[in-house]
Amino acid sequence: MKSISLYVDRQSFLHRIDPISKIYYIVAAILVPILYPSLTVAFAVMVISLILLFLGKVIRQTLSVYGFVFLVLITVLIIQTLFYPGNETPVYRIGQVVLYREGFFYALTISFRVINIVTSFLILVFTTRSADLVESLVRKGLSPRFGYVIASVFQIVPEMMSAMGRITDAQRSRGMETEGKLSVRMKAFLPLIGPVVLSSLLNVKERALALEVRGFNAKGKKTFLNEEKNFLAPTAVQWSLLAVILIAIIWRIIQ
Amino acid sequence: MKRKSVWSFQFTTASLVLIPAAVGINYIGKLFAGVLKLPLWLDSIGTVLASMLAGPIIGAISGAINNIIYGLTMDPISFVYGITSVFIGLVAGVLAYKGWIGNWGKAVVAGLLVGLTAVIISTPLNVWFWGGQTGNFWGDALFAAVMANTHSLWLASFLDELVVDLVDKVLVVLVSYAIYKGLPHNILQLYTGDHHVESLDK
Amino acid sequence: MKKVMVEHLKYRYPGTEKLALDDVSFEVEEGELIGIVGRNLSGKSTLAQAIVGLVPHFYRGAYGGKVIVDGIEVLHSTVSDISRKAGIVFQNPFTQVTGSKLTVYEEVAFGLENLGVPRSEMMERIDEALTLLGIYDFRHANPFDLSGGQMQRMAIASIIAMRPEVIILDEPTSQLDPQGTEEVFLAVQRLSREGMTVLLIEHKLEKVARYADKVLWLDEGKVMAYDSPSKVFSRDDLEEHGLAAPIYTQICKALKLKSPDGETYPVTLEGAYEVLKRWN
Repeated sequence: MKSISLYVDRQSFLHRIDPISKIYYIVAAILVPILYPSLTVAFAVMVISLILLFLGKVIRQTLSVYGFVFLVLITVLIIQTLFYPGNETPVYRIGQVVLYREGFFYALTISFRVINIVTSFLILVFTTRSADLVESLVRKGLSPRFGYVIASVFQIVPEMMSAMGRITDAQRSRGMETEGKLSVRMKAFLPLIGPVVLSSLLNVKERALALEVRGFNAKGKKTFLNEEKNFLAPTAVQWSLLAVILIAIIWRIIQ
Repeated sequence: MKRKSVWSFQFTTASLVLIPAAVGINYIGKLFAGVLKLPLWLDSIGTVLASMLAGPIIGAISGAINNIIYGLTMDPISFVYGITSVFIGLVAGVLAYKGWIGNWGKAVVAGLLVGLTAVIISTPLNVWFWGGQTGNFWGDALFAAVMANTHSLWLASFLDELVVDLVDKVLVVLVSYAIYKGLPHNILQLYTGDHHVESLDK
Repeated sequence: MKKVMVEHLKYRYPGTEKLALDDVSFEVEEGELIGIVGRNLSGKSTLAQAIVGLVPHFYRGAYGGKVIVDGIEVLHSTVSDISRKAGIVFQNPFTQVTGSKLTVYEEVAFGLENLGVPRSEMMERIDEALTLLGIYDFRHANPFDLSGGQMQRMAIASIIAMRPEVIILDEPTSQLDPQGTEEVFLAVQRLSREGMTVLLIEHKLEKVARYADKVLWLDEGKVMAYDSPSKVFSRDDLEEHGLAAPIYTQICKALKLKSPDGETYPVTLEGAYEVLKRWN
């Protein structure tokens, strides 16, 4: 059974932090630089996020994500340094091309922000088992039926992907063209996706029936097979993060 | 908490189970687009189908969960664009409900409207997050050109998103309509929302 | 004690014209194993779903008559409440997997969590159900990694763990290979021996003849017969209604060899063997 989760199993303190705290951290990491729009703050928060990710011992696994991010950020740097509307102070000239100071710093701000936000999400994604995330949310009050919806995606999507593999092979063996001109490839799309969609919608009905007879809509309190996981001081961590967010907001208002 | 459970009562099992399927269909659309090397995303067919079948709310939730799952499994940046997916679901659901996805011609118009919604929601997100770009090569080339000539970051960003999104969403709605038309009666019946049991006792 | 009472049940799916069930009445005693037979679209699955309340609560539509399961009336209960009284296992093993659980053990727990069964009791019930179905060794496996037969036994275990009074199996082996089929039938036999009331929808009539105490024969939503397997399968109008009698019955009929009672034909291999031995 191939999994679509990005979770990496490691022994680190981040793995022992509860999922809700990690969500609070994301909120804090996004909000603080918005409330204090300065290059220094953005840089500091980014560094904190990166240190945390490093302590989670998953940085090597996250490199492919950063690969794409850096690629786009390089184009951001080039385009903004050249064309940023607020550009005034030229710093460098290569023939006709002029590089500006304002655009460069604007691109730097964007880069810090992007890396910070991506990193704070990576902390959650790479150090949290998706089942733990859903269970924490349900214990926090998310409707168990919605908890089911999120949890089931992780397994139903790979199931559909293997169905997709079978159908592609079948259609190709019937001589469908999937290469060549754009128009040929466009025409292949519907016959490929149609059968997968139809069978998955038929499965929806059967799965709904099977869930109903297993008490899916039962009223009353539900119980958990697994005992609540022993996370590292969840209340203390959550309150500290909430305090950071609150202080930042209050500080902003009174200033 | 109380309010949440009231909400969840209104969702039937069939419409809740539709959500993971919609996310799966989105994934598969994207994968097939990749396999066929199409210059489009085609990754919101599930969301639009969910909206057409079960209404705007289920469509919007499908869109949100799609981006959450996508963020958790492939690309954390997609969390940022969750709002766009929510609006795609909402608009497609309302259009379908009003009967605007009723024939091929209308479906094209509906696709344009869905695409325009996506552009309007995504542009501020692009400006805030990337400074206006989309990460799509052709779109970003246009972005640079417009910036160089007009010095308007917003216009550049809007056009960048527009070239990428509009065609994509028109095709998504057309594909969704083609599939919807071929669905058997017993699938459509699950989502008619008729909660009444007629009595055959005399 | 009567576990299932169906009285003049009529049902029509929404958006259709024809009755799927038309005045169906029968009763099932505790511990009986009832085989339900009939050609495609004869109403077998609809009847099965009417006993667990999916008809009418899931589909809606038009409903008449009464179904009473272990003292509660289906029309006036919810599917979740009925799930404590009657459970159902469907044809397709894959779509019965919830998809939200990572191990077989957790998968079986799904229904119990929903019904709010306390944790210690839950584990006791799961262990028992997994052992009874012979899949205890797979308890840590991912549900989707099981074979079809194992998956179907997991589906049965998931229902059994909810401790219903009645279990209904809707063609549980139609999508399985011969080995999976055999595994599931042995499991069903074991359940029946444990005293469980079982309703088994099955198109392999040889299997029905071998395991069932009684046979309920449906055609076009109506009850054609409700009697012992030998009586039902000896009838001459089976073929006319799209059913083929068990192969043993067909042979004995062709040879005009009746059972010792002088009225019916043998329906099982053993029965046919006895008769043929005497004939020789």
